Amino acid sequence: MQQSTSEPTVILGVIGADCHAVGNKIIMSVLSQLSFQVINLGVMVSQDEFIDAAIEHNAEAILVSSIYGHGEIDCAGLRERCMERGLAEIILYVGGNLVIGKRPFAEVQRLFAGMGYDRVFQPGIDLHDVAKLLRMDIHQRRQPQWNQWLVAGHREHGVLDMAARA
Amino acid sequence: MELNNQRLSEREFEQERRQVLQSWPTGKEVDFSEGVKFQHALPDSKRFSSVLRQADQSGKTLLQPRAGVALLHEQIALLQHLESSCDLLPTTIDAYTRLNRYDEAGSGITKSLQAGSSLLNGFPAVNHGPKGCRQVVNALNKPVQVRHGTPDARLLSEITLAAGYTSYEGGGISYNIPYAKRVRLESSIRHWQYCDRLVGKYEEEGIRINREPFGPLSGTLVPPFVSHCIMLIEGLLALEQGVKCITLGYGQGGNLIQDVAAIKSLRELGDEVFQAAGFNDYELSTVFHQWMGGFPQEESKAYSVICWGATAAAIAGATKIIVKTPHEACGVPTKEANTHGLEATRQTINMVHEQHFPTTEAMEREVEIIKREVRAVLDQVLNLGRGDIALGTVRAFAAGALDIPFAPADCNAGVLMPVRDNDGAIRLLDPGSVPLPDDVLTFHRDKIAERARQEKREASFHMVVDDVNAVSRSTLIGRPQRRNTVSPIHGL
Ligand code: B12
Repeated sequence: MQQSTSEPTVILGVIGADCHAVGNKIIMSVLSQLSFQVINLGVMVSQDEFIDAAIEHNAEAILVSSIYGHGEIDCAGLRERCMERGLAEIILYVGGNLVIGKRPFAEVQRLFAGMGYDRVFQPGIDLHDVAKLLRMDIHQRRQPQWNQWLVAGHREHGVLDMAARA
Repeated sequence: MELNNQRLSEREFEQERRQVLQSWPTGKEVDFSEGVKFQHALPDSKRFSSVLRQADQSGKTLLQPRAGVALLHEQIALLQHLESSCDLLPTTIDAYTRLNRYDEAGSGITKSLQAGSSLLNGFPAVNHGPKGCRQVVNALNKPVQVRHGTPDARLLSEITLAAGYTSYEGGGISYNIPYAKRVRLESSIRHWQYCDRLVGKYEEEGIRINREPFGPLSGTLVPPFVSHCIMLIEGLLALEQGVKCITLGYGQGGNLIQDVAAIKSLRELGDEVFQAAGFNDYELSTVFHQWMGGFPQEESKAYSVICWGATAAAIAGATKIIVKTPHEACGVPTKEANTHGLEATRQTINMVHEQHFPTTEAMEREVEIIKREVRAVLDQVLNLGRGDIALGTVRAFAAGALDIPFAPADCNAGVLMPVRDNDGAIRLLDPGSVPLPDDVLTFHRDKIAERARQEKREASFHMVVDDVNAVSRSTLIGRPQRRNTVSPIHGL
């Protein structure tokens, strides 16, 4: 999974039976402008379609959106499925209106971090901040020896909070 | 089979019906003649078409929320809670059911039972079947409508109409292009001909079911003429199958003049286009959707958006308004939040609806522009279909002559790009291949140039993105961002 290109490849899509396309088009346009190679699978993407695309394009991260409320059902098991298919190390981000109803974000974040997502974002997030985090995370994954140390450190020191800020 | 705009024959319909009712176990429980009997026995107060007619005659604007949860008893409790604050009730269908994924809807029901709360974003009516849906109708004293986003809604229509629902939202275009990715337009239009024919069959039994094409489409900067074209096409397709009671929809854009002009032109065009096609025996009403794009997170700000929509609907004199909630930006609302949205709307409508606003030159011009745009596009659709509106629609989407912004469907060109002008009205930054008269295109260009000058920047996709985010960031027009400033535009 080590890459040296300066334009990291990431997979983008809206998971499950979700048709919300507007945010997806905007993330696509912003991240492309910020020098990411974005493979956009659009709406209604299954877990396996995400993984197929990640393998095909040798991607470093998968950016999952769930807007319509079924995120709790649709997003569960993606990390395990990635592991089964040889992508144990891939960065998984998830964002949107992830659960049904208005729930405290800290709770939502715990839920999705527990499913194995590296970062969890709420709708108001500034995409420029996301791009910074993504670049940082990718950089770390490219240096395996630092990787474990940094990730462990970040987990403890709550860098995840940055995603919670919004 | 080639698609065309002709009434489905009895044989074709009945043959297809057998398959439709076999496609999921609850389909076998549908009993049309029992459904007809039940519908006949409903009082007028529980019949959509009657309540709409009365409102239309007395110039009232009716309130309707959206509402759907996974479990039957919770759906009933939810609607009973909302009933006293609104005039018309919904049953909003979950997203798995909308895509005919009844297995997944079933597991959503199971997981919701385990979790002790709804994990679905709507009511899985097919899984609950005709008996479950009948319980919903029986538990209420007001008319109930099915609200969804289903490209193939044949089974859902059979189940819910037999259960006693008296209105059915949707259409072959408006429930495909914004809601699906790879469904061919030919098939969604054909499947909706089935739904409309079913409504026609009820009509033949003396039961008037209301039909409502979904006006807001992607809910995101849709120019009025774009949604009007779709409304009128779906209206024509429905009339052909024997539908007699049609409510045409429009989603609030945010500029008051454009919004009022949109409702006025929608109704006038409805009569113009339907009568030109030879239909005279129908009932027409309009529905105004409060802002359908991204909402502000804060409830206080959301109320403001809600009331601005209520104001526009009351001034425009729409027959019905679909009401949002203070939870809109966050998630499926609680029943309390839903009630609060209704109460805020009611207060505004009560205060505004008796005031009469004189029409202005700007308003008349806006009405005229929308009408000319719609006529130009519909002419082209008919030309492409050699007189057949169904065929013409499929060809027009393929040619980009019909083009809906921000929609996910493959069969939509997605080249047309809207942006707001300096007053916040929605104009065309890029018309794509939509055939509009030259002077109308010039009008759009001039209006946008005025804004670009004011903002000292080029009109571009950046500006569009700013507009998409604007309402959720507390403005209508996405002015260029300057950190920590709240002042309006004068300083630029
Ligand atoms: C427009 C809209 C629609 C349009 C969508 C048109 C289209 N095809 O795109 C229509 C009308 C068709 C629609 C339909 C439905 N909708 Co809708 N919709 C909205 C609305 C009003 C705005 C969404 C939007 O476009 N926002 C603007 C974009 C720019 O923002 P965004 O989508 O949030 O995306 C940004 C961020 O979230 C973030 N982000 C998103 N994903 C990710 C991922 C990562 C990794 C990162 C870093 C960031 C990130 O970045 C994006 C860009 O800035 C929202 C409510 C709201 N937000 O105000 C409801 C909303 C999302 N809809 C909702 C629902 C439930 C539905 C329906 C199921 C109908 C229903 N039951 O009510 C159907 C969908 C059916 C289906 N199969 O999916 C709910 C979801 C509920 C929940 N989560 O609890 C909402 C929240 C409304 C509500 N309160 O009930 N909808």
